[in-house]
Amino acid sequence: MAQPRASRRQIALKTPSAQKTERSAYLFILPAFAFVGALSYYPAIRALVGAFTSWNGVSAAHWVGLANFVAAFHSGEFGASVVHILIWAAIGIPLGLVPSFLVAEAIFRLPSRRAQYWYRTFFILPVVLPGVVGILIWYFFYEPGGIVDTLLSALGFTKFAELPWLGDAHTALGSLIFMGFPWIGAFNLLIYYAGLQGIASEIFDAAAVDGCTWFQRIMRVDIPLLMAQTKLLLVLSVIGIGQILVQPLLMTNGGPGIDTTMTPVLFMYQQAIDYDQYGYSMGVAFILFFALMILTIINMKYFRTNANTPSNP
Amino acid sequence: MTQRRNAATTHVFLVTLGALTVYPMFFMVVNAMRSGLATATAPFGLPNHFDWMNFVYAWDGIASAFALTGWIEVVSVFVSLAIAVLAAYAFARMHFRGKTVLFTAMFALLVIPGFLTLIPLFLEIRDFNLLNTAWGLIFPYIAGGQAFAIFVLRSFIETIPEEMFEAARIDGANHWRMFLNFVVPLSVPMLITVGLLQVVGIYGDYVFPSLVLNSTQRTVSLAIANFTPPALAPNINAVNIQLAAFTLSAIPIAILFFALMKYFVNGMSSGALKM
Repeated sequence: MAQPRASRRQIALKTPSAQKTERSAYLFILPAFAFVGALSYYPAIRALVGAFTSWNGVSAAHWVGLANFVAAFHSGEFGASVVHILIWAAIGIPLGLVPSFLVAEAIFRLPSRRAQYWYRTFFILPVVLPGVVGILIWYFFYEPGGIVDTLLSALGFTKFAELPWLGDAHTALGSLIFMGFPWIGAFNLLIYYAGLQGIASEIFDAAAVDGCTWFQRIMRVDIPLLMAQTKLLLVLSVIGIGQILVQPLLMTNGGPGIDTTMTPVLFMYQQAIDYDQYGYSMGVAFILFFALMILTIINMKYFRTNANTPSNP
Repeated sequence: MTQRRNAATTHVFLVTLGALTVYPMFFMVVNAMRSGLATATAPFGLPNHFDWMNFVYAWDGIASAFALTGWIEVVSVFVSLAIAVLAAYAFARMHFRGKTVLFTAMFALLVIPGFLTLIPLFLEIRDFNLLNTAWGLIFPYIAGGQAFAIFVLRSFIETIPEEMFEAARIDGANHWRMFLNFVVPLSVPMLITVGLLQVVGIYGDYVFPSLVLNSTQRTVSLAIANFTPPALAPNINAVNIQLAAFTLSAIPIAILFFALMKYFVNGMSSGALKM
């Protein structure tokens, strides 16, 4: 069977058309590369080179070497933004992973496939909302006298029910981080659910025969076997949280007070758009880009060595 | 016995969390139909009479944004998929020098985060004199969709059985013929999946359009983020009219979601390939 296939293929390669293949291939890839060359590579290179210049966006840029990086590292604003994003990651990553995992577990345990299907559909329903809408609805929730206040006073926390959540320097950052309760992300949920489906049913049967409780099974079987999924979501969460911009831009614009909800990408945005400091802005983007890249590589390395225990395909 | 009790607990857990997850949507739809007074005095309440006029005013505020967004979506996604599937075919099925290097170069774009190119891309659009035009968004969206689409489509085209290509070659078909005759038709489900991801991504994009467009020309995301009710609308219902605009803005994606559910789920799982 294999022999005629191989020989036919060789014949095809030797015919003159094999020569033509080479040139027409470039025609096939040309449009794609024309677009990404002009509108992806070029701006990326411009960002990386612009990081070493001082430029107001209009007159000629001039080379300043490392001055933008020095300025960023001495800037209290940028420093504050880095602290905020570290807090955000420390709280936001568990919030992004744990509830989605638990819901995926609960759905997967249901004996009825039909029920599984409907719950899954129901939980991913919020993807139809444009991101801006999701954020602005929470803006209403946080307003004085809004849902959050009403709920808190109904529960007896009248002291907290008076707070202007987004307008108070002490609560604004926390309000942004905890937005989206109960934090079940459609994408994370589907990744964990697909991961559970990929585990061989014999393993679950064996666990049941051994008399595993559901808690033991989650701890000893599911979590170790879903390490690949967790690693993926962890990497994506670090990248996602590292470049948070829209939430503070729409809800607080970095305030209230001095930079209480500033994030690094919002800082980068404001330096360019509000203050015309394009070189400095690109310098900040440069720092952030390499920081995220290094974090991603560390993440992948660390988890590769640790995930050598039973992994799934 | 315990089995049944466990299942009941699971259902209670899922129903509670599910209700909380969709609550913002529920709040949006319900209060879009209420008056400002009702929302202020009983934020958790249900409508006792329906203020459909909220939707009329809301539509007035965002109708032109729908038209502009529709145009941008259709052109961007069709052109983007057309040129991506061409390149994907070449990477999957053709032999040429520099293939590995070029593919790696394309793949590398997946690790370039949006914020790095945001400002330079805006400056480039400004220099091309494309600010305040749909093209100022369409061209960057076409480019931005390439890496992921090519990556996914190439993997798919590689799974098309070699026998089909052999048979076509024996019949004297060239690459272009094979591409049009069976590669593109077989790729349709994958094209829908990738296209859906692009449609949803473009629809939700806020920051880049806010830089490229001004206040007279707006996409749906821009129009709802800076929503101002028409002058005639009753002031007390301003929030409700805004929520009605939010509700309207969710309808196009909701229709796609229910019509193409399977592709949505596939698409979100294939999003995992991004890394």
